Amino acid sequence: MRASTKAPGRLGFNRSLSAGAQLYLLLGGIVVALFIVGEIVAGGFLSVSHIGNVLRTAAFLGIVAIGQTLVILTGGIDISVGAVITMGNVFACMLMNGSNPATIWAVPVVLAIGAVVGLFNGFMIAYARIHPMVMTLATGSLVTGFTLIVSKGAPKGLASPALQFIATRNIAQIPIVVMVWALLAAVTVVLLARSTFGRRIYYVGANERTAYLSGTRTRVVMLGTYVICGAAAALAGILMAGYTQTAFLGIGNEYTLWSIAAVVVGGTSLIGGRGGYVGTLLGAIILALLESVLTIVQMPEAGRQIANGLIIVLMIGVHYARARRR
Amino acid sequence: MTDKQRNLRIFIPVYVIFLVVYVTSAIMDSTFITWRNNLNLFTRLTPLIFVSLAQTIIILGGGIDLSIGAIVGLTNVVAASMPFVDTPANIVLWLIVPLLVGLAAGLINGLLISRGRFPPIVATLGMSAVWQGVALFVMTAPGGEVSLSASLAATSQLFGVIPVPVLIILASVGITHLFLTRTYLGRSLFAVGGNEILAFESGIPVARVKMWSYGLGGLLAGFAGVFLSAWMYSGDPLVGSPYVMDSIAVAVVSGNSLFMGRGGVLGLIGGAYVFRLLNNILNLLGVPSFYQYIAKGVVLVIALLVTSSSVSAQILAKIRSIFSRRLPTDAEEVGR
Repeated sequence: MRASTKAPGRLGFNRSLSAGAQLYLLLGGIVVALFIVGEIVAGGFLSVSHIGNVLRTAAFLGIVAIGQTLVILTGGIDISVGAVITMGNVFACMLMNGSNPATIWAVPVVLAIGAVVGLFNGFMIAYARIHPMVMTLATGSLVTGFTLIVSKGAPKGLASPALQFIATRNIAQIPIVVMVWALLAAVTVVLLARSTFGRRIYYVGANERTAYLSGTRTRVVMLGTYVICGAAAALAGILMAGYTQTAFLGIGNEYTLWSIAAVVVGGTSLIGGRGGYVGTLLGAIILALLESVLTIVQMPEAGRQIANGLIIVLMIGVHYARARRR
Repeated sequence: MTDKQRNLRIFIPVYVIFLVVYVTSAIMDSTFITWRNNLNLFTRLTPLIFVSLAQTIIILGGGIDLSIGAIVGLTNVVAASMPFVDTPANIVLWLIVPLLVGLAAGLINGLLISRGRFPPIVATLGMSAVWQGVALFVMTAPGGEVSLSASLAATSQLFGVIPVPVLIILASVGITHLFLTRTYLGRSLFAVGGNEILAFESGIPVARVKMWSYGLGGLLAGFAGVFLSAWMYSGDPLVGSPYVMDSIAVAVVSGNSLFMGRGGVLGLIGGAYVFRLLNNILNLLGVPSFYQYIAKGVVLVIALLVTSSSVSAQILAKIRSIFSRRLPTDAEEVGR
């Protein structure tokens, strides 16, 4: 990422900062501001336990958004994640049914099913050249139907104690889910910045044809991102099962749009090729914080929706203005 | 082949699918072809047609609108909170105010996308939450009332035979088709959707065309909201949510290509019908509703493969090149 060569801005300090650092400063500033607002409207907002709860909410979203970030970086989009989350949630509970030993094989199986859904998406998008938006729309419908048929519309089963432990308990006051998220986030960041596959994701997103002509197997790269996306969504579904103990058929619905929102608020361009996971991570925290603040001030559903919508639109505007300035 | 034939050709697959589904349905269940069932289908079809028309206009202009469902919900509750005592003035109010609200909401979306240059997917995603919020502000829970005579008129039969919804469907599709093919704004839409830079360089006011495509989309979503209020005889702020994805699916199944500026509205009746028909026949056959999701997904995948995939495009191109000794164009090669 090249350093900004523009004249210093009004605050005079951005001359020495790279565009990436500016973005993280901006997003980090919003996080701090939301924490301060939260503390003002309700004391105890800054307590360790509450911060842990906010981060836990962000962790579920952040894990889904790992896959969404990779997919969007290639210039695609995946709107089947909500359906895959629900599927992972329902299947995990059915397969393990409250038993710890069953968890050991149930989790990989559910992850594999999620990856297969991603494989199907990726194949149809990269090889059959169907537009990602409509293809994942169709897949979402198929996965929802599949989940309903298998569960007969009334999901049974129970998350195992081990999974509940991971999803609900803290170690040294840090929720275990947040640790899982941090680990996955670190892997994602390294993958994007340091691995060949990660760099190729950016090439494909920046210009698919050029990437192809310069020897990148673009279709394999695209396929890979959708597979990761499917598996990440399934994992989020599994962890949510641990959190709520039982399966719930509507659990993933909101996450399709929220995962895209986290990516976009985090400054990743929907056209592809620009952005990264650190932004998405902060985006997920911002959305979780906003939700928490709105809950504390007992905002009715109408105002909550409007506030969420406005922050998304506002952040796109800010990111767009930044992109144009460079 | 003339341009006109080429343009009409894209509607063939959807009507083939429609015929297959319709005939299969008729064979599998005798109650399917009863007048009463078909009448019910027409009514259920109308809001979907309006929303699909809206989505198609926006897709043809190279955009997409994920807030269309929220606008349907918003206009629906606005319609249901108008004074409902049966007077001509009230009926006009019931009709006009929601339409203006829809138009305004669409224009605000369009303004963000054309002047603010926001990417349409996320801009309308964000605005969808805003419009949904406004709808919930107008009416927190389903309720309200609608003028009885207007409500009855919208779902009745003219001269006792012609269902009013059929007239509404034919008129709305016909008018939109004429708008797209005969007016300056409509023609410009294809140019902007096909290649924005080229359109700009040939003097088309791209920003204004895009803005009005969203505005008209909002207006048509308003029609859907009003019709739903008449049909349900009340309002529901969340009534629109299934229409977002359905409208995109119907638009694409009906032969419109996303972000390509190709297509039209003549296929929409077939496309919308296929989707409603599937639910209908599965209900009649007593199949659990779970399978409707599978059926919807399968139809969408098949239609996508037939209409937009490089597989069929390449096969066609190959066959054609044997006869014409012409290299396949970029579009046929990439095919999406």
